Amino acid sequence: MTSGSAELLLETEEAVGSVEVIPDEIVARSPRALFWRRFRADHVAVVSATFILFLIVVAIFAPLVVNVLGLSGPYVQNPSALNIFGSPTGPSAAHPMGVDQLGRDIMSRIIYGTRVSLTVGIVSTVIAGVLGTALGLAAGYYRGAVDTLVSRFVDVMLAYPVLVLGLGIGAACGVRGCLNVGGHMLIQPGMTTVIFIIVLADFTYIARIVRGQVLSLREKEFVEAARSLGASSNRIVYREILPNLLAPIIVYSTLLIPLNILFEAALSFLGVGIRPPTASWGQMIGDAQNYIQTAWWYMVFPGAVLLLTVLAFNLVGDGLLDALNPRGNRR
Amino acid sequence: MKHYRKAAYAAVVGLLAVVVTACGSSGGSTAASSTTPSGTTPSGSLPLKPGENPAGQNVYNGKRGGTLTVYSQEDFQHLDPGESYFSLDYAVIQANQRPLFSYPPNSSTVLEPNLATTVPTVANGGITDGGKTVTVHIQPDVKFNPPVSRVVTSADVKYAIERGANPNVGNAYFVPYFGDIVGAANAKGGPISGITTPNTTTIVFKLTKPTASVLIGALSLPLSAPVPQSVAAPLDKHAPSLYGSTTVAQTGPYMIKQSSNGDFSGVGYQTGKSLILVRNPNWSPNTYASPLYKPPAYLNEIDVNIGGDSTVIGDKVLHGSNSVMLDTPPQSIVQQAYTSYPSQITFTPGSGTHYGGLFTQSGPFKNVWYRRAVWAAIDRVAVVKARGGPLVAAPMTHFIYPGNAGFAESGGYAGPHYPWNLDVNGNLKEAESLMKQGGSPSGKFTGSHVVQIVSSNGGDSPAIAQIVQQALNGLGFKTRISLVQQAVMYSKYCGVPAQKIDTCPSGGWIRDFNNPFTILVPTFSGSSITPTNNVNWSVLNDPAVNSSMNNAELVTNPAKNAQAWANIDDHLVNIAAGLPLTFDNQPNVRAADVRGISQLWNVGTWDFTFSSLQNP
Repeated sequence: MTSGSAELLLETEEAVGSVEVIPDEIVARSPRALFWRRFRADHVAVVSATFILFLIVVAIFAPLVVNVLGLSGPYVQNPSALNIFGSPTGPSAAHPMGVDQLGRDIMSRIIYGTRVSLTVGIVSTVIAGVLGTALGLAAGYYRGAVDTLVSRFVDVMLAYPVLVLGLGIGAACGVRGCLNVGGHMLIQPGMTTVIFIIVLADFTYIARIVRGQVLSLREKEFVEAARSLGASSNRIVYREILPNLLAPIIVYSTLLIPLNILFEAALSFLGVGIRPPTASWGQMIGDAQNYIQTAWWYMVFPGAVLLLTVLAFNLVGDGLLDALNPRGNRR
Repeated sequence: MKHYRKAAYAAVVGLLAVVVTACGSSGGSTAASSTTPSGTTPSGSLPLKPGENPAGQNVYNGKRGGTLTVYSQEDFQHLDPGESYFSLDYAVIQANQRPLFSYPPNSSTVLEPNLATTVPTVANGGITDGGKTVTVHIQPDVKFNPPVSRVVTSADVKYAIERGANPNVGNAYFVPYFGDIVGAANAKGGPISGITTPNTTTIVFKLTKPTASVLIGALSLPLSAPVPQSVAAPLDKHAPSLYGSTTVAQTGPYMIKQSSNGDFSGVGYQTGKSLILVRNPNWSPNTYASPLYKPPAYLNEIDVNIGGDSTVIGDKVLHGSNSVMLDTPPQSIVQQAYTSYPSQITFTPGSGTHYGGLFTQSGPFKNVWYRRAVWAAIDRVAVVKARGGPLVAAPMTHFIYPGNAGFAESGGYAGPHYPWNLDVNGNLKEAESLMKQGGSPSGKFTGSHVVQIVSSNGGDSPAIAQIVQQALNGLGFKTRISLVQQAVMYSKYCGVPAQKIDTCPSGGWIRDFNNPFTILVPTFSGSSITPTNNVNWSVLNDPAVNSSMNNAELVTNPAKNAQAWANIDDHLVNIAAGLPLTFDNQPNVRAADVRGISQLWNVGTWDFTFSSLQNP
């Protein structure tokens, strides 16, 4: 086990052992340095983060990756790749992960599906994070009527069965969209609807967590000091309190991303998510259920990639939690 | 934190275990398909094995007794014979009701008397007045089940038909098939002057036009099953009618299990869960006039389990006993049954069509050349594969499907020889030349309209929608697919002309009785367009088509009648009135020890009144 003071002690001894140094100043590691040191020591988290970076690169360069691998595009239908019963054929040289029910290359669709999953997971988390943080900040700092209003609103939203709500919104907005603003439908079928549903589900949890943190932070001495120096409420909220919320928000967000990826997969599985022919891991798994007996690859490969992605984000979140927690015990 | 990592590692190990298990459990059929190299799939059709075609099935000589377990993923829509209009409902209706006429299980063309004593013809005096009067006599000793328990009279049949016009009952086919009865045009559920009952066993129908053949065919539908007015009338006052919700009078060999007061809810029927048919104590096998239609009612009981996944259900039936699947089995079950359990699956030919609507009232498909181009571009062979291959489908080339009068006259499987109908694999070049004739010099659509495709999200519908989308994209159309539940698709979008959905590729049609009228009129006649529950999905209102249909209905000579409808079919292909997809063969699976009898006239659905168990 190491601690900050022990590291300082070690460094001083090393310096003394090699060259005579007169220490005139002991420099403590910055919080960022400490964070990276702790995170790097968590090999599982590092590997997971590397995997996520790999996924992001694959998502950005999906067309190039598909080309380099010599795969057919994700939307290229090839009925001749099906057997006479219309069943997908399995892994082969031309299709390393087999084909789907329209003869489309599964590996190609998994690669393009990365874009959907990461986009939905990250964008919805960011939006929910911003919305939830704003509401939580307002409720926790200003208290009184603002807190009551925001908290009751959050309670109402928490009471909604979100999946059922998602099904309803998907059914209602699935064809022509909803919320007509100036002739333009704000909720369009597809990714926008999915992100909207996920944000509706997530912001409430973030709002509650942030509110709880703010209730604690507003009583701290540094806030009292800022107030006594004449700082405005806005300055206190954004310059004093918010920076202290970043750590828990970041950690919670990294844990939320895989949940949102799974949520998108579930919505696509239920048919209210990403529109075909856009490749989505969840939609692929949903389509594959009718072929599980004759085309196991159709469900296993997208399922495995989804599992590994969710696992990676969870492990990174786990690592961040350990690295950012100054009072956490190290192994 | 440590316990979470352990769980994470366990998940990865578990995944590997699943992969190994999946690899290990793949059967011979999977191995065969996985070794088929891409691009070289076998061509040609698959031969049916002995017993897989139910035509000519031996409907008698079964063993009496036992309980049949039926699995149905879908629930029934209506148990009121006046409202019922769904092939699954008909499986129950055929067991617990007695319309005037019926098709025997192994005939889809020749009607036999059921409640009636004979099928009216000119020769036996049942059709008179140049085809404008139809007289039907009913069996004198058929009784309703308890607690009604009285003899059925002609007044019961008269009331059954009249209530079809009641908006609270909302019978879907009253207008097209019974609308020619004198007084029916203005009927709202009250007495219809054109239906009289001179005695307790005779019903006389007076028609405004000589359309007796249409009426007689329509009298095979559940609407003609007798309904006691004393029981139904109070319930018919509700909107919608409550008749069939908790009680229904029954005359068939079986009845829905019920309490002593006739209430079956919670006893014999639980919505979304189960339905139980038991023997009707008041039914007699000696009340049938024709030896070709005499239900033996071998089974003691039929237990229907509702819900579940169709793949799981199919697997359970193939490996189980005393059970059948009522729904269409999914493709994987069809493949498994054909390759490993050939004696447990049947394929009923002539089971209707799948085709899509092309909105003809506005948008790009108002242009007939664009419709022809889309017709040419659709890869119908790919659609056949998406539906499950040549065992269950053939490329559709016109609208009258196999087994119907007019099919051969309209060109048979090859269909009319229009340029856009020649290549069932889809011909983009031909399609582009048609687009040019439609006003797109480049052969591609360059407008800003985004074609809206609304499809069911179940079964093979999403795959078919994407095949259609690919064809449209190839012609330059921008497209947007929306997948919704089938009921929503029909009730909110495709069945509502005001929604102006450009194309709905999940449609299909099965004839109501053996007359091409029932295939083409509800689906392409302008008079069939309704603001809701519309089944003329293209919203076609072509004066030439409407006029031809009115004339064809009056042709009494069978050969000339078939040709008249074939000419209309040809014209519909000429104007590309819809999106051709498949002619269907319906697969049905059963357990090895079930002697299942298929109703050829009802997509091969199992006929409970003729089916039996091998070892009851």
